[in-house]
Amino acid sequence: MDSVTIDTTKIKPAKKKPETALEKLNDTGLINTLLAAREREGMILFSTVDQFINWGRFSSLWPVTSGLACCAIEMMAVTMAHHDLARFGMEAFRASPRQADLMFVAGTVTKRMAPRVKQLYEMMAEPKWVISIGSCANTGGPYIESYSVLKGVDNIIPVDVYVPGCPPRPEAWLYGIIQLREKIKSQGYGAKWGLNK
Amino acid sequence: MNAAEELKQAMPAAVVSTGMLIDKPLAIIKKEEILKAAGKVKEMGFDNLSVITGIDYRDRFEVIYNFFSYKKKENLVLKVVLDHEAPSVDSVASIWKVADWLERETYDLVGIKFTGHPNLVRILLPDGWNGHPLRKDYDMETEQFVTMGEDGEDIVSTDGSNLLRRR
Ligand code: SF4
Repeated sequence: MDSVTIDTTKIKPAKKKPETALEKLNDTGLINTLLAAREREGMILFSTVDQFINWGRFSSLWPVTSGLACCAIEMMAVTMAHHDLARFGMEAFRASPRQADLMFVAGTVTKRMAPRVKQLYEMMAEPKWVISIGSCANTGGPYIESYSVLKGVDNIIPVDVYVPGCPPRPEAWLYGIIQLREKIKSQGYGAKWGLNK
Repeated sequence: MNAAEELKQAMPAAVVSTGMLIDKPLAIIKKEEILKAAGKVKEMGFDNLSVITGIDYRDRFEVIYNFFSYKKKENLVLKVVLDHEAPSVDSVASIWKVADWLERETYDLVGIKFTGHPNLVRILLPDGWNGHPLRKDYDMETEQFVTMGEDGEDIVSTDGSNLLRRR
């Protein structure tokens, strides 16, 4: 085995203590990072924490598998290949509310189902969003005069996006999803907790 | 001779009148005789009791039994007329098993008592619901809410304070 020779001329002297203001600024590393970014010609991206976290959030919204009435049939159509929900990173419908961060309230919220819907929402981990789909979930729809149907799911849980229709076409559904993505983009990442709104 | 007339011939004391309900043979039965008539209908070859409905006509209730025969492809409708104060009629669940749930539904929504029913409790609405919603005099003004108790049982209340969001 060859012996290893160390070229001592290439060893840089120990860094000297920063003295001037400029040296001190240099020493924080911030300037160096900026200079390095310039040298690397776009290989480093700058972003705000808000943008970065929100990008992560809206790019992989996982809906909880829950449907209440005929609108849920339309939800199945939305998830099928033709309308291709996967391009939004949200084809993974979770069977457990613990793993989901989006709830489609798709269908008629009957009085008897209402506490269950509320419980499902409360079981989801923050941050979470709700899209109310169809006339029934928005207002009670065709059953507004009924004794057994809740007049709008926003009576029991907060709703981010309302999609009208009976049932809404998958295109309307996708438009609602895009609106929710816009909403998440414009939020501060702590908005759900009441921080930096 | 259609099935209703056949039934009248077999038990003339039980059948008040016969006719047609749209295109189905209809027999109006004395309410005391419904159990016997339901048994006779089974003997006549009807093998399906498809639905039992109750109607509130303000001065009377009517309970309507829709039978169908898969063998003969025939319909038969039986009807009993009940007074409005305390509507009650014998249960046919001992002859037609399916009547168990159908009668519970009619009890739940229209409030007709089926005497002799094995388990006459509400089937769609939770226990404790006030009133029978398909009655004409049902109170639509007071809204009733359902909440869940500790063990997941339904609790009916009119305020819904632990369900609704405060605004
Ligand atoms: S809005 Fe229309 S399609 Fe959707 S659940 Fe209600 S009745 Fe059904």
